[in-house]
Amino acid sequence: MAFNVLVVDDSAVMRQMVVRTLKMSGLPLGTVLEAANGEEGLFVLQDQWVDLLLLDINMPVMNGEEMLRRIRSTPETQALPVIVVSTEGSETRLAALHALGCEIVHKPFAPETLRDTIIRVTGVTDAEYYGPVAVADDSGDF
Amino acid sequence: MPSTMDLSLSRTTAATFEELALLFPEQELSPEQEDAPLDVTVSVDFRGPFTGRLVLSASAVILPTITSNMLGDAGSRQPTLQRDALGELANVICGNLLPAIAGAEAVFHLSAPRMHDVGESVSRQADSASARAVFGVEEGRVSSTLYVFGAAPALTTVA
Repeated sequence: MAFNVLVVDDSAVMRQMVVRTLKMSGLPLGTVLEAANGEEGLFVLQDQWVDLLLLDINMPVMNGEEMLRRIRSTPETQALPVIVVSTEGSETRLAALHALGCEIVHKPFAPETLRDTIIRVTGVTDAEYYGPVAVADDSGDF
Repeated sequence: MPSTMDLSLSRTTAATFEELALLFPEQELSPEQEDAPLDVTVSVDFRGPFTGRLVLSASAVILPTITSNMLGDAGSRQPTLQRDALGELANVICGNLLPAIAGAEAVFHLSAPRMHDVGESVSRQADSASARAVFGVEEGRVSSTLYVFGAAPALTTVA
């Protein structure tokens, strides 16, 4: 299965960093879509099938928390796996985000942290992630 | 003796450069680093329990390395991406610094990073810096400065 991923962040640099990490992660990727704020992100979700959303919080026009609330109140997207990628350090705000059913990766992040969170959130199996494991034939004589 | 705010700013700036840009800021500057101009400046405004601005300046000579480490070689020669990369560093420094100063319960709203022209003032007329940290990075240097507008915040303890 290939995952369609939407990356929503007002920083073009951070979007590129996230996409680069996705490509290096080995996750079976389909289409990678990008949006610069929550409103743009919602428009993308209306038109495209997305399996995973990576979402910033502090953005102009519509912030990530508002986008997440709208996603959870829409039947078609309420179960969408969401990972918030943010500098957010307020426990008050983080608790509100957790209550909306998302995982949180704190910036700055190590690539393996993002990769491991994606695996956990998407439920990608080892076989899907690493490919089939070749088992050595041990029937021969030593 | 550095203040609590100076220590928080210094630690946050160094950690962000290490983790996001894969560079290791040095507190002892070489003569070459001391002489390097701070010719690119970005700032991030914030509001919450207190308001202010985080200003990050860097020598232009180190921007290609920063950008390359963050994005790969493809973008490292594009001036727009170089400035955006510095802006993202400022954003991450600011986002991590404020909870260290104001406590984990405080909620802040950060503006998008803003570029400043050479010679443009980065502070309001009556503001003095609340904290400042300077590091040597590669063959240049970086300076991060925190301005708090109005009353100074009550500080949390830095571990």
